[in-house]
Amino acid sequence: MMKIISGNEAVALAVKLARVGVVGIYPITPQTTIIEELAEMRARGEISTDVVRVESEHSAMGVTLGAAVSGVRAFTATSSQGLLYMHEMVWWAAGSRAPIVMVVATRAVGAPWNIWNENTDFMSERDSGWIMAFASSPQEALDLTLQAFRISEDPRVFVPMMVGMDGFILSHTKTNVYIPSQEDVDAFIPPRRQPYVIDPETQESMGNIFQPVHYMKLRQSINDAIADSKDVIREVGREYEKINPLADYKTLNVEYKLEDADYAVVTMGAWSLDAMEAVDRLRERGISVGLYRVRYVRPWAEDEILRALGDKKGVIVFDRATSLGRGGPLYLEVKASLNNPVKGVVAGLGGVSMNKRDFMEAISTSIEEMKRGSFREVTWYYPSEVKEVELGTPRSAI
Amino acid sequence: MSLGLRGLRSESLLPGTSACPGCPENMAMRMVGMALGKNVAMVVVAGCSSVIQGIGPKNAYGYPVLNIAFAAGPAAASGMWRAFKQRNKDVTVVVWAGDGGTADIGFASLSGAAERNEDFIYLCVDNEAYMNSGGQRSGSTPHGAVTTTTPEGKKENKKELLFIMLDHNVPYVATASVGYPHDLMDKLKRAKEVNGFRYIQILTPDPYGWLFDPSKTAEVGKLAVQTCYWPLIEVMNGKVRVSNESLHCLKKETRRPLKDFLSVQGRYKKLPERDYLELEKFVDDLWERIISMS
Repeated sequence: MMKIISGNEAVALAVKLARVGVVGIYPITPQTTIIEELAEMRARGEISTDVVRVESEHSAMGVTLGAAVSGVRAFTATSSQGLLYMHEMVWWAAGSRAPIVMVVATRAVGAPWNIWNENTDFMSERDSGWIMAFASSPQEALDLTLQAFRISEDPRVFVPMMVGMDGFILSHTKTNVYIPSQEDVDAFIPPRRQPYVIDPETQESMGNIFQPVHYMKLRQSINDAIADSKDVIREVGREYEKINPLADYKTLNVEYKLEDADYAVVTMGAWSLDAMEAVDRLRERGISVGLYRVRYVRPWAEDEILRALGDKKGVIVFDRATSLGRGGPLYLEVKASLNNPVKGVVAGLGGVSMNKRDFMEAISTSIEEMKRGSFREVTWYYPSEVKEVELGTPRSAI
Repeated sequence: MSLGLRGLRSESLLPGTSACPGCPENMAMRMVGMALGKNVAMVVVAGCSSVIQGIGPKNAYGYPVLNIAFAAGPAAASGMWRAFKQRNKDVTVVVWAGDGGTADIGFASLSGAAERNEDFIYLCVDNEAYMNSGGQRSGSTPHGAVTTTTPEGKKENKKELLFIMLDHNVPYVATASVGYPHDLMDKLKRAKEVNGFRYIQILTPDPYGWLFDPSKTAEVGKLAVQTCYWPLIEVMNGKVRVSNESLHCLKKETRRPLKDFLSVQGRYKKLPERDYLELEKFVDDLWERIISMS
């Protein structure tokens, strides 16, 4: 069924279709309408999901983890400061190897206060031991959330999974979304299975002190499970096409007009579509460029990336996030996989808007630089209308 | 005097834990097992009890345990009992936390779970300092006590968790001491029959933090009650019941001098007179408040 809904509504529908048992919820912009929608569904009697209205994001993950290790399917969603406040429990969930699904409607992290979109919150969790996918449309938010339950509960994986989507841009914008039927989803996501359940009958315990070498073994097991999940993700993606005939999830990441291109642009999330339009226009002007969209940050699809980008004369990576003092995290990841020239562009932070023309300018300038052979490794790009912004000089405290 | 505990089996503690000699938490854990039986799932937050159970994958507790970070115990237990409910399983969920996890770092999630009236038993084992990290002051450390971070004696009074939890209007709130096992076990059994949020704060005198001989744990736990420093009470559906062991505290004349409790502990060795008076006032106020509730 096609329906015009927002990204947040799409995620709430995915939670409903996946028959989630317990949801720990705490409101934070721009994620809030996911949990409001779930609360409404519960009030209307459409779901039997236990919706727990907790007092903080730390507790939201606490409830979700408590339910997940006790044997039911569990979900939560958050953003920005909320994800950072939850950070400790995000690691605890991964270390417990508890299949959990979380959606992050991304947003800048203060200070100063900023409610607009940026991917730094999401990217700051990439060391925590979760599988991490990032959507580029409300449709993908729904698809990836449904797939996340399948992937994280797969016996070859048993690692929690988070799905990112650009705050407001996807979370609040309504587009046409294909919603699979309940019967199809029931066939796609089997009843929950997990190896360890807290239960007096089985006497399993979790999380007590480990000897150093056992601890390290456990960390490696999570590392290997995530690294090896690529095949599971591709397999689940192919299976998903049975319940959404319009979908294409055969690969982790997505290529656009790359095969014959000399130069490649790498993006993630909603602005990929603006960047694709820019690529089309640049091609009309005879610039040989294609686009590569990262859909999975963890596992990192090095094989796919090498195959798609390894022979390009130059690769330009757009980051909507920073590792301050070093550049963008996506740039660092791509650069670590390639031996050819890679340039990073930090843009669109804290809601700074990037349109097709901005992408055209940033891409063509970068290609010119790369052609000359001397290019700045990382540049911060400001669209023309905000180039004038200046901050005062910090004053001495004395 | 025989305590009559020998016939009772504990389901909670297997032989060979990593506890220190004279550990009051081991004593309390054993009593929990005697009172609640086998059908229990436990959330243990960071603290001595995450260590006492021994090195994983082994576990010296006779219960399935989810060990979890400090501030997440009550939240995890909320998720846990709801999961059991969804699976149609009747399991008693118990959170086990120290005074640090309860009064300080974990307080927000404790208060949140109490406000939501979540269906589990919360046990605070109160040894009045952060004993697992070596005896630093907590919000629950009493006035004048010497800790590693208050070498001059703590300047502030103990945070009154008993009253704070009563103000949450939960169905069951009680205090107990490892010095009086029968009282504790009676309370645990009653708490088990109640639905909703249940809070029991157990005084667990720590030989290494309070500086007394490890053979005296139970005795110090008794002295705390006899001198009325630690009340044994229970509040169920708004009704206050003072345990027999604490009835003499209702009148000031019948209370045993507080000195008898303080003098057996190294942490009160150099207590100045004005701090002693402050502590006495703390006890007087405590009982005035309990009397006003009954």
